[in-house]
Amino acid sequence: MEVDTETQVMDVTARIVTPGSAITSDPGFIRGHGTFGEGPTIYSSVAGVIERINKLVSVRSLKQRYGGEIGDIVVGRITEVAAKRWRVDVNSRQDGVLLLSSINLPGGIQRRKSESDELQMRTFFSEGDLVFAEVQSYFADGALSLHTRSIQYGKLRNGTFVAVFPQLVPRSRTHFHTLPCGVDVVLGVNGYIWISKHVSAAKVEANAEHIYSDKNEPISDEERESIARVANCVQLLNRLYVKITETSIIFAYEESLGHAPKDLLALDVAAELAHSVTGRLRQQS
Amino acid sequence: MASLILSPAEQDYITQGVERGFRADGRGGLDRREVTLRTNMISQANGSARCRTGYLGAGTDVLVGIKAEVNSWTAGEPEDKGAIVCNVECSPSAAQEFEGRGAEELNVELTQLLDRILGGPQSGIDLGKLCIIPKQAYWVLHVDALVLDVKGSITDTLVWAARAALLAARLPRVVVESVADEDGNMQSEFDVVDDAEDQISLEGADNLPLAVTFSQIGKRYVVDASEQEEAVAQARVTVAVSPQMEICAIQKGAALRGFAPSLLTEILHAARTIAREEFARFKAVFDAANKATAADEPSTGSTFLGEF
Repeated sequence: MEVDTETQVMDVTARIVTPGSAITSDPGFIRGHGTFGEGPTIYSSVAGVIERINKLVSVRSLKQRYGGEIGDIVVGRITEVAAKRWRVDVNSRQDGVLLLSSINLPGGIQRRKSESDELQMRTFFSEGDLVFAEVQSYFADGALSLHTRSIQYGKLRNGTFVAVFPQLVPRSRTHFHTLPCGVDVVLGVNGYIWISKHVSAAKVEANAEHIYSDKNEPISDEERESIARVANCVQLLNRLYVKITETSIIFAYEESLGHAPKDLLALDVAAELAHSVTGRLRQQS
Repeated sequence: MASLILSPAEQDYITQGVERGFRADGRGGLDRREVTLRTNMISQANGSARCRTGYLGAGTDVLVGIKAEVNSWTAGEPEDKGAIVCNVECSPSAAQEFEGRGAEELNVELTQLLDRILGGPQSGIDLGKLCIIPKQAYWVLHVDALVLDVKGSITDTLVWAARAALLAARLPRVVVESVADEDGNMQSEFDVVDDAEDQISLEGADNLPLAVTFSQIGKRYVVDASEQEEAVAQARVTVAVSPQMEICAIQKGAALRGFAPSLLTEILHAARTIAREEFARFKAVFDAANKATAADEPSTGSTFLGEF
């Protein structure tokens, strides 16, 4: 059967396409990201969903590297200590940059940066440290510039790290959640997640001198178990390709209470949890 | 083996967890992760197995293929034995640090380790039966392993896969005849029977050992370390134990420090206890893998959490 591509205007409503699918031949449309043209027809070059804004047709792929936008809350790992700045792995195409002038100095009082600060950068952040930061701007080469100029940002302690697909963490008003089970969760939009023991805001402010300390608080066995349970739930949500929000984590946590944390990721238990968690999420929406 | 850098806070969290018997993913110190196994998926090989240790379809993934070749005997080689030659390669796509020549050192270490466990009579395989005609021809078994993904504890998964592949391996039958040559002397000739139905398994493969790797973190040790735990571990030792509960091989891996002798003795004893459980688990998983046919493949709905 011949497909007459000249007279046939294909559907540009949001539908799933695969690489090589024809989107439209209508000359009124402009090609955006994720598409290519051959003759009069626009084809998709990635596997994803068609998006149309007025005349611009683009395809948003299911899996993409985290891009980074101004205002994003991210969790990053320091990879390098350089002159008056740190290079931070933010799961993007380039390492982000955290300038010495963009961090809070210990003591809470705004003191001037001295030369000795420049020489002692590792007393603040060293290679391997995890930092909770916000994207402030871009550099000329597209690298993200981060800042931690707020009491809730800074070095992460008292817990464990999980990496998920960046697309699963939606941008929202707040990225720092305290779950009912007494566990703090930091959901970085770049897919890096930190799960830790709950430390009250009052205690954080009282510790203003020690914001760059590497020492963990004492963590009890029950807290450790809750953290492990939440971490495994997040891994499960990631594998199910479900959006990771405070709600979905709480649902997964509650459904998982019938099993020990270490059993949550075994195939049979995970399959059972998958059904109950997705069921609850569907009910809620 | 990992080049992961963790923050001091993360390292302390992991160490404290291990010392209190509750690891980051909820496991106890001697708990191993889930293992999935598939056998004989490479039709051109005499035997093959793919083993994955980990959860939810991700984990340390090793593929082993066995290829049998007939070698002509040369002077200096054992006169009445076959041979087993091992080779391990880490795929560059398994981890970022394996790009280019990054995995060279690790390949050598793992090859040497596998050779130490399998490359001789300590493997349990009857090398004498691999001889076809003494001083003339013998079977060489090439054990080729490819590490496809790394999430901690490559060695244990590697030995599981190698054991499964050798147990599943089938060699063609060889017929040896005595023929008279021109001078009237009796010469032996052999003929490899080209019948897919008429194949024999490796004699003694049931005696193959399994390996258990212990990583010391803080004051205690854990089995089946995850990537993060390997980054924190001060020392690592792999112990291979045979089904007869004898220790076949011990190799200490590159690490920051050594073991206290008393801890090492404790580990060697623990290795036998764990090995007993591991052999039982291996048998269950291996039997299930052999029974699995195309009809058992998980349906599309659950392949999301499916095994391979």
